[in-house]
Amino acid sequence: MAKVKVATDWLDVCSGCHMALLDIDERIVELVKHVQFTSSPITDLKHPPEDGVDVGILSGAVGNTHQEAAAKEMRERCKILIAIGDCAVFGGICTMRNFFDKEEVLRRGYVETESTDEEGAVPRSEELGKLLDRVKAVNEVVKVDIHIPGCPPPADALWFALTELLAGRMPVLTGDNLTYE
Amino acid sequence: MATVNITINGQKVAARAGSTVLEAAREAGIDIPFLCHHPALTNWGACRICLVEVEKQRTLQPACTFPVTEGMVVHTESEKVVNARKFVLELLFSERNHYCMYCQMSGDCELQNLAYRYGLDSWLYPRPYTPLPVDASRTYFVMDHNRCVLCRRCVRACGELVGNHTLGVRERGANSMICADMNVPFGLSSCISCGTCLQVCPTGALMDRRSAYRGRETDVERVKSTCAACSVGCGVELVTRNNHVIRIEGDWDAEVNKGLLCVAGRFEPLFDDRKRVVTPLVRRNGKLQEATWDEALDLVADKLKALGGASLAALASPRVPTETLQAFAQLFKGLQAKAVSSLKPVPDFLAKAEGSLDMLDEADLYVVVGVDLATDFQVAGMAVRRGVTNRGAYLVIVGEVETELADIAHYQFKSTEVDKAIALAKDAEAPVVVYGAGAGGLMPRLWVELSEKARFVGLVPGSNARGALSAGVDGAFDMEGAKGVFVLAADDKVDEALLGKLEGAEFVVAQASYFGPLVERADVVLPTTIWAEKSGTFTNTEGRVQEFRAAVQPPAGVKDDQEILKALAEKLG
Repeated sequence: MAKVKVATDWLDVCSGCHMALLDIDERIVELVKHVQFTSSPITDLKHPPEDGVDVGILSGAVGNTHQEAAAKEMRERCKILIAIGDCAVFGGICTMRNFFDKEEVLRRGYVETESTDEEGAVPRSEELGKLLDRVKAVNEVVKVDIHIPGCPPPADALWFALTELLAGRMPVLTGDNLTYE
Repeated sequence: MATVNITINGQKVAARAGSTVLEAAREAGIDIPFLCHHPALTNWGACRICLVEVEKQRTLQPACTFPVTEGMVVHTESEKVVNARKFVLELLFSERNHYCMYCQMSGDCELQNLAYRYGLDSWLYPRPYTPLPVDASRTYFVMDHNRCVLCRRCVRACGELVGNHTLGVRERGANSMICADMNVPFGLSSCISCGTCLQVCPTGALMDRRSAYRGRETDVERVKSTCAACSVGCGVELVTRNNHVIRIEGDWDAEVNKGLLCVAGRFEPLFDDRKRVVTPLVRRNGKLQEATWDEALDLVADKLKALGGASLAALASPRVPTETLQAFAQLFKGLQAKAVSSLKPVPDFLAKAEGSLDMLDEADLYVVVGVDLATDFQVAGMAVRRGVTNRGAYLVIVGEVETELADIAHYQFKSTEVDKAIALAKDAEAPVVVYGAGAGGLMPRLWVELSEKARFVGLVPGSNARGALSAGVDGAFDMEGAKGVFVLAADDKVDEALLGKLEGAEFVVAQASYFGPLVERADVVLPTTIWAEKSGTFTNTEGRVQEFRAAVQPPAGVKDDQEILKALAEKLG
């Protein structure tokens, strides 16, 4: 049987959710028997293959135009989209900036930080993604099929969700697998 | 008891007539979840979590407000019900900041527990991100509006239980906000910091400053005990972790206070910043120096023997258990001490317990004489507030004792106008006279005039004053002819007047927990336990004997009162 193709990406994120994915430890050896990891933020291949994958995994909230594009690209190229972690599922800690004007946020980040000298300036290159007016959960941007909250989600919950999918079932989180912190 | 036959989830239930579906289900052991409901408060129907399917009803009904009727068939976890609850939860979660990972209440939150119970893993509703204030203007707890679900438990607790009516809701719909008085900061409002709202809040909206982030329910232990702040003797639950009391809560099962506490019982004991005495001290060359227990006790025993009973006066605080006071009286009466007195002597007219606090909830007119219920007996004061503001009872204050309760009083009379109060009481259906230490001269007349008509509730100063009286620790302190003085102060504060009297003493022993003027004056200091470290019984003003339980261990070097008295008795032979 052909292996199930999986692509992952991170958006507005601390990367802790991808660490949680690695926290499934030696079970990853079992997993790669059935799964082919294609693109991810920590491999050379950054974008999901154009011919598509079976499962797409996104961590992090959607905070800028690049992340919005990445979320849409993943949605287009995967059959089942999983949002992992509180930021991807709810918006999480990234949404603290939603209480401020985005120019104020940029100034605070690039000009007014205690460690910035008078040279500090907000980067305005066209190459950079632009901040959205407010940070969104992934399901505010594209349709999400499976939500795995947690900050980070337990490795067991990620393992459970992937093995349920491999067994042909939609995972339903219960007990310790469902956590908001 | 009339019963109504209903069926819940296929189970036949004989429900009390007049009960709600929620009450009937709980009494039958069937769990219906809720958020705005609280057993101590009136039913409100605000949160819609307790929605159930009632056959022949067009829509789902809130179990907390829906009365049972004969033949009713109820389903509490049908698909329709579960879907409705999930929908309600999604709406609640989408509105304000309910991100658990940075909330103090996470793990103990009733909203979070419901989300786990119904497997909420996401919601699709837009999040408004309205910036809402955090009000930290109160000393002891913080209100974070971002965590509030507008269940109104706090509003009901403040009005229905405390009778204070500080809290309310302003604006409408999605703009609704909990507010104090006419929307002033909580710290500037009529709030009396009793913390009842804090105790009933289901989410992290109200946060206790002292215990915040110091442990979840699974990390802490709870010990039921009695409050030592005054002679009302409220039931408390001491919440401890790693040998520290981190929070004090009112015991909902306690008959005296039914869950209520005041600022003096709930918060002030945990904000006591006096320095502990943790080793015995002996005055050498005019200076207090550390000593061993043997050295200190030997010195005390030798001095007491040398001075002899007639020149010895003994004083104890009524903030210690009755058993300690009995041991104290036995020791010093055995030594023939000229006086065995209390730090807060009980006036003769209060010596006999009279009335019960329950009476306060049945009165239609209160005559409050010589006592400040708003400061010194606050939980009794809450009963009067409830009576006045919720049941329309009249409040008549007599005498010269100042009290904030005057704000809601209908009449205020000077002592010389007591007859006016008597006349009002005679016209009432169920008058209650509440009196305290300042009522002295007025009581004989009130008893004579109103004994047929009114009920009397006496409030004695000193938290375990009744225990002290029963142990024979009473009477005014008299220094006349005394050379040696033994003061069992424990954690009590000793007033200036007493310290003045000690000026002439040759030898002063302080059995005390904290440094302060008494310790500074003492020749020997025996470090002893504080309220949370003692066990025994307290007798409240009604004469009710209540358990006082230690929740934490004393610091090394400190001994319990009774242990010290026993060791001293042995040294004295």
